[in-house]
Amino acid sequence: MKLAVGPMHASRNPESGDREDVVFSDWESILSEIITSDVFGADRMDYLLRDSLHAGVAYGKFDHHRLIDTLRILPARHEGTDASEPKLGIEKGGLQAAESLLWARYLMYTQVYFHPVRRIYDQHLADFLRKWLKKGVFSTQAEEHLNMTDNEVLSAMFEAMRDETAEGHDAATAILRRQHFRLVYELNPADLEITKDPGKAIYDRLCEKYQSENIKHDAYRGKGEVADFPILLGDGEIISGRSASTAISQMPTVAVDYVFIEPGIREEAKLFLREERESILKSAVPKEED
Amino acid sequence: MDSNKRAALLLSLIDKLEEKESWCGETHIQKATYFLQSMTGVDLGLDFILYKHGPFSFDLRDELSAMRATRLLELEPVPPYGPQLRPTAIGRRLLERFPKTLERHRRALETVAEHLGPRNVAELERLATALLASQKHADAEAGARWLNQIKPHIDPRSAKEAIEEVRGWTEDFATA
Repeated sequence: MKLAVGPMHASRNPESGDREDVVFSDWESILSEIITSDVFGADRMDYLLRDSLHAGVAYGKFDHHRLIDTLRILPARHEGTDASEPKLGIEKGGLQAAESLLWARYLMYTQVYFHPVRRIYDQHLADFLRKWLKKGVFSTQAEEHLNMTDNEVLSAMFEAMRDETAEGHDAATAILRRQHFRLVYELNPADLEITKDPGKAIYDRLCEKYQSENIKHDAYRGKGEVADFPILLGDGEIISGRSASTAISQMPTVAVDYVFIEPGIREEAKLFLREERESILKSAVPKEED
Repeated sequence: MDSNKRAALLLSLIDKLEEKESWCGETHIQKATYFLQSMTGVDLGLDFILYKHGPFSFDLRDELSAMRATRLLELEPVPPYGPQLRPTAIGRRLLERFPKTLERHRRALETVAEHLGPRNVAELERLATALLASQKHADAEAGARWLNQIKPHIDPRSAKEAIEEVRGWTEDFATA
């Protein structure tokens, strides 16, 4: 089981939620990497290609046949020493396929998984479910849980949309009539020079001005290990992927920061932000208390 | 702990490790942070568990990734090895905003860097796991047996030496 879920999830106690020690031998690490690795995991390769196909985009495509053909278990130099440990890597001939996989991941994250409309729909759906479900959560009774399908949820959303007095009416309407909250701020890298949480600063100020029920915030910062892997060169030398490839070493870490607003007040808020954005961000510069 | 303060402390730790000629890869920062929390009492709110190379924090891994996403840290490739982590100019500006926090914990950060900076990953694994063993077992022999059991490549004698070395640092860290 731990091989299939990987170390991060295997270390989480399912009952308490606490982190617990987890031991992976070298061989178990390799087997788990083949399934769950951030770089070459079969799970990741599969969902990038699958989601790309079903979302109707080309971003997630890469030459997976070539990549799999060149996968090797290699002794990787470990952080500044020549002592090595076995890791999943590639032959030099697979480097471009590996680069395209990593770029496919980055583009799918920024253009599909973290697309602003997709993210705000998530929030509206969560709002609806919190209002409609008993106690605001899905049942943990097996039969009840399995009987709750997309059909039940969509049917309930349509009913709620048609009845102004129904629980979750606003959220259902936002989704089904495409009256979702609109983007009023998204992360500008220059804003990170002022504060590392610009979206939060904008969100807080807009809540003061337009009330919190009309504003939503969504922020994500990339997680997980540094994408690196060993590469076997033609002369038998083994080097780090990040050293061999400028494309990989320059790849940004995903960061999104969105603020959404009720559509009726979006234009007014945009004008407000045009005037006040800089002062809002400057007021959010972290300060040390006395 | 406030996320900006935590980021400032991690950036300062990385700086001090670099001054002591640490490689500053993720493993180095993981183990140094473990010592900072466990031996000096600087509570960064990070959970550590026993993993491949000894004590490890998935929280810290995600924090370092988030710091790269917000341009506080960058990766510097060093052929033929993996990358090193370095504060950026934006990261250095964040450091300037927390002088009191950094001064309050300066001695703790410097003590960790002095003891761990020059060590390679194999030594860091041994010492950090020895610290964990020492916390689980009052008796050094029992701790060494436990350490050897979970890390068979660390023989019992080396395990015991590592535990005794770490225990020998207690006074230094207590005054940090």
